Amino acid sequence: MAEYRLDCLGEACPIPLLKTQKKMAEMKVGDIIIVEIDHSCAMKNVPEWARKEGYNVEIEEVDDGQWEIIIEKNK
Amino acid sequence: MKITEHPLYKKVIKDAWSYWTGAVLLAVLNISLFIVSGKPWGITGAFANWGAWIYKSLGGHPETWAYYSNPDHAKALTEQSFFTNTLSVQNIGIIVGALLAALLASQFKIKKLKSWKQVAAAAIGGLLMGYGARIAYGCNIGAFFSGIASMSLAGWLFAIFIFIGAWIGSKLLVKVFMT
Repeated sequence: MAEYRLDCLGEACPIPLLKTQKKMAEMKVGDIIIVEIDHSCAMKNVPEWARKEGYNVEIEEVDDGQWEIIIEKNK
Repeated sequence: MKITEHPLYKKVIKDAWSYWTGAVLLAVLNISLFIVSGKPWGITGAFANWGAWIYKSLGGHPETWAYYSNPDHAKALTEQSFFTNTLSVQNIGIIVGALLAALLASQFKIKKLKSWKQVAAAAIGGLLMGYGARIAYGCNIGAFFSGIASMSLAGWLFAIFIFIGAWIGSKLLVKVFMT
């Protein structure tokens, strides 16, 4: 049950999605990743991909124009 | 109730619109622009004019360039200024509109530079796109979106090469930024 943080602040699409996919491939079932983004289109494509994979996803607006996407590798 | 909690604020101002809403709005607005100004939407033509105006003010002669031998392009040098060149005014509208949308949604943020590699890639990419857009007589708005809407074969050709270019670009992106 490890928790990882992925700093994608200042990165534009599709880098946050690619980095998330790469990191999640290395993670074990039950691990959680928190992806930090400030590019609004990543707020759309990262959760969209994770939900399609069947993972639990939550989005939190932490500041103006800044979000954290919390994904649980539940399978 | 605070306005930021109102469901209508969330739907219209805060959340991203669906691709369908965007597509229909773009189509309707491009048709309106065509009716009012006589030309479909374009963007990068204005950048050529801005460069040419600066060059001219420094004593250069852009009117001798092949690009400005086209009578439609030459108008920008002979009879128009920044405020009477519709493309230039439209571009200011894009910037002001985007700023307004970000401010209304409280999503305005000055982003930090991640690395000098990112800066270099943005500068090189911008120059290549600008150059490409001028020799193709348009970018993905002027040549692709407005081109296809005008039933122009050039628009469809542009579309094929956008896909090839995006494919090569994404491979490069992974190579440069994912290692």
